Amino acid sequence: MASLIVRKNTDSLGAAELAALRAGYAKAQTIMDNRGYNHFAGIHGIPNWYCWHHSHTQGSNVNANLFLPWHRAYLLYFERAIRDQSPPTPKVGLPWWDWTSNTSHSVGVPHAFSVATAGGQPNPLFKARIVAPTATPPINRFTRRFPGNPAQLPTAASVNALLNLTQFNDFTSQLENIHDFVHGWTGGNNGSVGGDMGSLGTAAWDPIFWSHHCNIDRLWYLWQLKHGVNNITPNLLPMVLQPFGLKVQDVLSINALGYEYAVSFITL
Amino acid sequence: MATKAKAKKHGQSAARVTGAATADKLYRTSKVYKSPKKITVANLPPMYSRADLEFIGVDHSGASYEARVYLNNPSADADTQAIEANGYAGSYYIFGHGGCFGDVGHCEIHQRDEFDPRPSHPLEPIKKVVIATDAIKKAAAQSADISVTVVPVIMSWTEKTDMTDVMKFDHINVVTYD
Repeated sequence: MASLIVRKNTDSLGAAELAALRAGYAKAQTIMDNRGYNHFAGIHGIPNWYCWHHSHTQGSNVNANLFLPWHRAYLLYFERAIRDQSPPTPKVGLPWWDWTSNTSHSVGVPHAFSVATAGGQPNPLFKARIVAPTATPPINRFTRRFPGNPAQLPTAASVNALLNLTQFNDFTSQLENIHDFVHGWTGGNNGSVGGDMGSLGTAAWDPIFWSHHCNIDRLWYLWQLKHGVNNITPNLLPMVLQPFGLKVQDVLSINALGYEYAVSFITL
Repeated sequence: MATKAKAKKHGQSAARVTGAATADKLYRTSKVYKSPKKITVANLPPMYSRADLEFIGVDHSGASYEARVYLNNPSADADTQAIEANGYAGSYYIFGHGGCFGDVGHCEIHQRDEFDPRPSHPLEPIKKVVIATDAIKKAAAQSADISVTVVPVIMSWTEKTDMTDVMKFDHINVVTYD
């Protein structure tokens, strides 16, 4: 029986785990078909624009906020694609970036993602090449990132306050607001142009995108533990999360999806 | 139960319009915000446990920015410290689209009809909520009309971003809850 994938804090990955994660990202970044990094990044914004932010209607007047379910499905597919390209052992899950931590408030983007090289090679968690030939104008360049002052990152108190919200629509709206801030903060600008995390079209190419969203997904999971796994507007349940084929009702339980979040993890 | 007070009536807001040509025009154009807005709060209930500022019809097609909200501080600007003493009530943040990277017409918003199975256009204007209970109670205690000043602070953008009039929305609601 397959065991659950354990998603860990970016700062608690062991050296072998970080090396395996980097190997998976590096390999995926060389693949240009639908197994590769460029394909998955292009689902979010340029050129396919499938991502679901804020509230939309779909074939009805129902105001559907599928921000959290859609990104959960997105991470799931991406994580599987990265693991396909990773070494056999150790198999790692996507790590989550806790931007409320003392470390983040000191250094900002986690060290694993902010160093340009690792082991004498370009760090695939630092940047990735955007290849979007159908964009206007076409894009073919590496991602850029100009993060802001680490002290401005969201606090644990602000996250705890939103975990106490009892209505799903209320919770997802406020969590998305914090998510929006982190995107703008991480992308930032150099005075003449912004970083890629700061714009929806290119954000998913920045490797830190996936760990930012992993933390968002983790916070939803923590909220679910507190307020109920099935605590979501009922008429959202049958809605399909394009292009993944999963419905909202399929992504409510992370254990049913084959993963879990660990605060600490010790192997004896 | 929620009670609403509106900042200013602009006729119908985009999301409520059901007609064809006129509606479509309204649908794609959030209004450029002119600061500050006056909100009459005299009719709010005497007791409430929570009060929100709802920003309706917010455009998110351009830059990523922070919108800092100040109450009863019409001179607030980007240099104003975001603290309670200055009437700071909270912020909402926009993760912007960054401009149009499609072909001509890609970012024009057209309303879908009820039989259209596709999700609504990604650039449909959105709602942002700032939970501002203490700030609203304090401002409401000062006067029957409170002024809402919203200061945009741009965080990130692309080569395709129109940097003029970055912040646009239709209107503001004050919503209180028992």
